[in-house]
Amino acid sequence: MPKHASSGQYAIVGLGVVAGPQQDHSERMVAAEAARRAIADAGLRPKDIDGAIDLRRTGGGGDRATYVDAYSRLLGLNNCFYFVVGRGGALAGLGIATALSFLDRGIANYVCIMGAVTDWSQAQESRKAGHRGMAHGEKAGYWGKALGDLRAVSHHSWMAARHMAVYGTTSRQLGAISVAERAWACKNPEAKMHGRPITVEDHQNSPLVAEPYRLLDISLVSDGGVAFILTTADRARNAPKPPVYVLGQGFGEVSSELWWDKKNFTHMAVPRAKQQAFGQANLELADVDCAQFYDCFTAEVLFQLEDYGFCKKGEGGAFVESGAIGPGGSIPVNTSGGLLSCYHLGDLTGMAEAIRQLRGEAGERQIKDCEVVMTTGHGGELISPGMCSIHTCTLLGRHP
Amino acid sequence: MSNRQNVIVSNEPWKKPLPNIDKDNEPFYEGLKSHQFLLWRCKTCSAAYWPKAYCQNHENEPFAANMEWAPSSGRGKIFAFNRHHMAFHPAFKDEIPYVYALIELDEGPLVSSTLIGERMPGNVYDVGQTVEVVYEDHPAEGFSLPRFRIVE
Repeated sequence: MPKHASSGQYAIVGLGVVAGPQQDHSERMVAAEAARRAIADAGLRPKDIDGAIDLRRTGGGGDRATYVDAYSRLLGLNNCFYFVVGRGGALAGLGIATALSFLDRGIANYVCIMGAVTDWSQAQESRKAGHRGMAHGEKAGYWGKALGDLRAVSHHSWMAARHMAVYGTTSRQLGAISVAERAWACKNPEAKMHGRPITVEDHQNSPLVAEPYRLLDISLVSDGGVAFILTTADRARNAPKPPVYVLGQGFGEVSSELWWDKKNFTHMAVPRAKQQAFGQANLELADVDCAQFYDCFTAEVLFQLEDYGFCKKGEGGAFVESGAIGPGGSIPVNTSGGLLSCYHLGDLTGMAEAIRQLRGEAGERQIKDCEVVMTTGHGGELISPGMCSIHTCTLLGRHP
Repeated sequence: MSNRQNVIVSNEPWKKPLPNIDKDNEPFYEGLKSHQFLLWRCKTCSAAYWPKAYCQNHENEPFAANMEWAPSSGRGKIFAFNRHHMAFHPAFKDEIPYVYALIELDEGPLVSSTLIGERMPGNVYDVGQTVEVVYEDHPAEGFSLPRFRIVE
């Protein structure tokens, strides 16, 4: 089947990353700084940006972001549109899909897509009041907080427990995912856990948080921002850095399966997303050089490996134990260290890493001859038992 | 606390997050206060839902007028559970470790709450235990909450 007419017609030409604790800066300033870096990286000036998208974790995270004026006031962009996109950790994938419709119609030539958080700094403050983990409240209508459903791990851990109940997956196997991502992080100086390798024994000895999840099954709480510039392929050819082409995108949504069929507790919304993205790109799984999966918890990585078909359903535990996803494995996964060991900026973590791998800028962790990278996003409301039901898949390539 | 069958009355001040009671679920919370676990049922086909939704089986009347809140068995089976060893909120410090379970009610819907009582599940992959609702009344606060206990 030939690839879709849109495949390879749009490209990312600039990347800006702000990583590490940002306790001296506001969230809007971190966002604006990431955008400033992305614009400069693309060889552009702020006046060249004619559209802007602000990525926010609406849904899962609640009302946190307060940087609405980062683009317009701080950066002084004279863009023709500026609005918020996002659903939980599904950010960059949705931002790209939205920007393409403006580029496609000639409404904009360069769109800046940006997201930033100061979760780590906020968590340091709320710890003083006796709270643990992310510092945020759920919005009205959310079920379960009064009953003890306090954080994402309070219900996401059911998914790992169900996979254990149905397929016999073990905690040690989930630990193999943590160990593999940590090994990648140790090759990434920007990663929070750089220089701190772990073993499966370390995983097993880490404190239980919400059983079956241990501390080392859970993603980081981070500060930081990522921004990137999307433009048309003809404009991208004049950019100073190698363009990263958008080859295909697909989307899945399983709210109804979650609520009424009760079958989303060992799966993610992959089938349609996979078919759409790989169909547009006319690619197969074997063409993927590395995968940047959304990994809020270890089991999400396991589910995606199975659901995309890197291994059979239910056999993800043995697959990750074999070393398949770490350095030297058959399908490198989350080569920056991911949300588990690098930093947690939603799917922007994987998007930034995909851009670097395809540009050949990934240093010690660079995948040889990296030509195709898949990135995924995940998120949604946390109305227990309903939880993150959206899935996005974006295929990026070194060639159009 | 006093303890009758399947009812607990607490007069302790509530220091945890408040339940989010809104226009959609207010009748459900009212039901809890009168010790009924209400489900949202279709008057046409009897399908049961929780919380409020349009019936998934056929066309609906405006604002789901073909549906109503109706009492349920308050029984079900554990579908999945976890065991919290960390109190993310300071008011939960005295309760850890606590079991937070996803319960498949006999009528079909899933609902989640904490397990209470002497019988607790073991390994997280060992599920299917039968549970029933326990109403935890907080008269001074003006609400009741559903907990569950293992009965077999």
